Amino acid sequence: MLFAFLLVFLLRALFGFEPLYDGGVYGGVAGLIGAIGFLWGIGCFDFWLGWAKGADISEEDHSFHGVSNWKQYFRFNTDHKVIGIQYLGMTLFFMLWGGLMALLIRTELAAPGQQIADGETYNGFLSMHATLMIFVFAVPVFGGIANYVLPIMLGAKDMAFPRLNALSFWFLPVAGFMFLASMFTGMFGAAWTAYPPLASQGTMGQTLFELGVQFAGASSIATAINFLATIVTMRAPGMTIWRMPILAWATGVTSVLAVFATPFIAGSQFLTMFDRIMGTNFFVPDQGGDVIMYQHIFWFYSHPAVYIMLLPGFGIISEVIATFARKPLFGYRAMAFSMVAIAVLGFGVWAHHMFVSGMAAWLRVPMMITTIIIAVPTGVKMWSWLATLWQGRIHIKTPMLWALGFLFTFLMGGLSGVFLGIVPADIQMSDTYFVTAHLHYVLYGGSVYTIFAGLYYWFPKMTGKMYSERLGHWHFWLTFIGTQLTFFPMHWQGLQGMPRRVSDYDPRFETVNSIETIGSYMLGVATIVFFYNIIVSWKSGPKAPWNPWRGKTLEWMVSSPPPLFNFDAVPQVVGGPYQYGIPDARHAVVFAPEEFGGELKEDTRYPVLVVANETLTSQTLIDEIRARNADGLWSFQLVVPVGDGDRSVAERRLATTLAILAESGVSATGRVADGDVVSVATEAAKEIQPNELVIATLPLAESQWMRTDSVDKVRKATGVALSHVVVPANDARALAGTSALPLVMVVATEAIGAEALATVVRTRADAEPARFTVVAPLDLPDPRWGAEANERRRAAGEAMTATINALVNTGVAVEGEVMDDAPSVALPLAIDAYKPSRIIVAGINGETAGLREAAEAAAGDTPVEAVNLGAAAGA
Amino acid sequence: MATTAGHAPADQQASPPQQKQHMNASLIAMLLFIGSEVMLFASLFTAYFFIRYGVANETWPPLKQDGEPFTLPVLLTGVNTLILISSSFTLWWGEKRLAAGDNKGLIRGLWVTILMGATFLLIQLNEYAHLGFTPQDKAFSGAFYTLTGFHGAHVLVGLIVLSLCLRRAYKNDFSHSYNTPLTAGSYYWHFVDIVWVLLFFLVYVI
Repeated sequence: MLFAFLLVFLLRALFGFEPLYDGGVYGGVAGLIGAIGFLWGIGCFDFWLGWAKGADISEEDHSFHGVSNWKQYFRFNTDHKVIGIQYLGMTLFFMLWGGLMALLIRTELAAPGQQIADGETYNGFLSMHATLMIFVFAVPVFGGIANYVLPIMLGAKDMAFPRLNALSFWFLPVAGFMFLASMFTGMFGAAWTAYPPLASQGTMGQTLFELGVQFAGASSIATAINFLATIVTMRAPGMTIWRMPILAWATGVTSVLAVFATPFIAGSQFLTMFDRIMGTNFFVPDQGGDVIMYQHIFWFYSHPAVYIMLLPGFGIISEVIATFARKPLFGYRAMAFSMVAIAVLGFGVWAHHMFVSGMAAWLRVPMMITTIIIAVPTGVKMWSWLATLWQGRIHIKTPMLWALGFLFTFLMGGLSGVFLGIVPADIQMSDTYFVTAHLHYVLYGGSVYTIFAGLYYWFPKMTGKMYSERLGHWHFWLTFIGTQLTFFPMHWQGLQGMPRRVSDYDPRFETVNSIETIGSYMLGVATIVFFYNIIVSWKSGPKAPWNPWRGKTLEWMVSSPPPLFNFDAVPQVVGGPYQYGIPDARHAVVFAPEEFGGELKEDTRYPVLVVANETLTSQTLIDEIRARNADGLWSFQLVVPVGDGDRSVAERRLATTLAILAESGVSATGRVADGDVVSVATEAAKEIQPNELVIATLPLAESQWMRTDSVDKVRKATGVALSHVVVPANDARALAGTSALPLVMVVATEAIGAEALATVVRTRADAEPARFTVVAPLDLPDPRWGAEANERRRAAGEAMTATINALVNTGVAVEGEVMDDAPSVALPLAIDAYKPSRIIVAGINGETAGLREAAEAAAGDTPVEAVNLGAAAGA
Repeated sequence: MATTAGHAPADQQASPPQQKQHMNASLIAMLLFIGSEVMLFASLFTAYFFIRYGVANETWPPLKQDGEPFTLPVLLTGVNTLILISSSFTLWWGEKRLAAGDNKGLIRGLWVTILMGATFLLIQLNEYAHLGFTPQDKAFSGAFYTLTGFHGAHVLVGLIVLSLCLRRAYKNDFSHSYNTPLTAGSYYWHFVDIVWVLLFFLVYVI
């Protein structure tokens, strides 16, 4: 810094400039030299300088790869995974600052008149908010996500140019801190668009803004070149361009935009900076300058920049929706082509930001037409996402919530965008809150939602830990409601004529504005929830499996987090990336060294541990297992912990469930283990290393395990991703798998209620898994409404309840019915209704023969056997 | 490290596939970088044309602060343009020599190119000194200095790149099969030349 001041002083003295001191010039040069010094100091140029000096350097030097503790994230590193995290950390840090500015803006606007800031400061807030959010958050954050994920998705070991990658990251803090530093030198107040002549005036903050944009732009171009080179040259064998994940398409198209559009903002900022510090006259009309020229050059970048902030989000959303709808992405090629179309058209619409600027009038209609046409490829994408969801098996996990929220809010923003694209409407609505509403629906509801979808989606992959699903849901719903509260009323406000970028307003807008301020505070709270969730989960969340979402793309076929060079050997791609639900479809084959078990295939079944006892036979649990089985290759290990209860009961339940699962094609094994649930689950988890642990319990009030807090204890003890299935009590006792198991009908009249009957049924259930229905046909005396008949009916009902309870409590799937007719009349009806596969007649001594006769007469082909419970029951 | 080429025996087919280089990543990156440089100059040319055509009722060239019209030394700069264009051909000749296995020829080609480029820069600086107007004069002068200044900076970068290539050529680093840095450098040099030709015609001649 001191060096910079001296340099400028000497040069100015040398050439005789007057005055000797000019803050803008000094500050600008000091900022520039400080930035380069910082980059040099952190080691960004070491390799190239070494190369130029002829020092002993090695291309294969990987000492700047990987991290062993969190402090190393603050140092120069060439590992794309580390750089990805650095990008995300840095951009989220700037997002916090930008968000703080937004809250300050909303606080000022909470009521008419001046609250916390005068006009100048307010301009500073809104300029800082937009600048931080756009240049050092929304644009580069996608670079962070893609930096981490894309090379793995493509089957590469790293980016094409790791050192350039590191350099482009380190440009980012330079840019961001230049923006932030302007708070001490007088904040720039010309908004993020920095139109001259306003931008030609103002404090030194404006110069820092111009310099910062140059660094952010350089970062963006360098990253984009790197991504393109990576996508073109480093795809794994077999990954044709039509087998690339959509995120690769999105990143590629975005990178083309960044490479060819970003120089325009560099140009525009050079020109304003020259006007400011060199005294040129680009924007001084009476010296031949032209201020409209700035707007053309600026928007020629900044409109494509909108797509730079959206297209990667489209890619993320496509990944998330296909994965959580368990369906192939609808219209893969249309998705890819529509992104290309958006990018191409995006270069031809810039002047729709300038309809009221006084630009050449003939340019309006062509720009309106191209603007409206952009809605077509965007609509193609929207419908493709909806068609992907159509009849999909939708899993509402946090990333999917964000994706669905995105579809809604982005649609809203898209619709108001069409309004604004139409010249007469735009002339009316320009520079009102309608525009603010539109851009926040598109950039907040659009871009930021996709960012959160991506962050939650790949959080397990990046950190190796699972985030808290519950906090994720809280974060989403707070944000979603906050978004609508904050931005929806702005449409109305804008149509009523409230101008944007003004710190005060007409008192009639007070109610709406205070609602918006409340909404924005909700967004602030949501952000706190988000940061709490990711920080705590990263520190002490449960261990993430390799593939928690059962995704098909390559990043899910390596460990979480991936090894230093991603793959032990180059993977072979053999199919498309989104073939969910297609039997035998494979995206890629990943090879692993022998010590890890040789080739790892997509059809390797990973284990899932299921722990349950009383709820084991419930439909809820069985449905959970079936759903997992339907869209992933899992093998299920059922473990039934038995404390001091009856072991045979547990065995019976296990046999029933295993039989039902086997029938629906689920690969499952099981065992009964002695001990309490925590120790049994921990042992089993240690033994089979499951990808997921499912614990089923009764609801809180009835569950023995919940009473001792076992589920949380297991979560802590194992560190495995855990799903807690709560089974309603009546479901736990209900006849499981209604159609899956053979039905055995037990016919008894005198014997109901007797222990011997229950024993017979249990023995039968132990011999072969089956479900039972006990039928008691009563030969009632006339009149059937008489007291005697009623008494018999009541007694039979009680006895039946006792039998059923005794059986259900010991793990037999059974139900019962008392019928109002003699066996010869009742049994044909019962057999017709239940269609049993076998009939057992359980009589006591004399009645056995008669019952058997009636049963055989009604049974047709169904085998009938008779048991005489004899004296044992009679007693 | 030597690797054996040839087909793997049938019983080793389970070995992992190898990453194939589809194209040369460095050259792709250089072309993309040049694409973004083209756009940077495009933005500056846009500014220039707005200034040129956006100002109504004024003759071209516009008048300076002191009332005299701006004049540019077309003839001298024309000669300078020829020098720069020729330097592209000398670089191309050097690369041809390298392709023929003649490292000496490459070194000669690079030397001539670098000297011509440096000559161009010196003549440009001399021109700056004798133009008679400063960047602060009118919008036109600002655009003129910005365009030529940016181009001059690019020539300087090109010279540094070519000097580094020259150093490596002296160390015999380049061959027929490995010459990526040299090729990338020459792409850049040709780009700098083409931009100058455009600039010369659009700013000096018409």
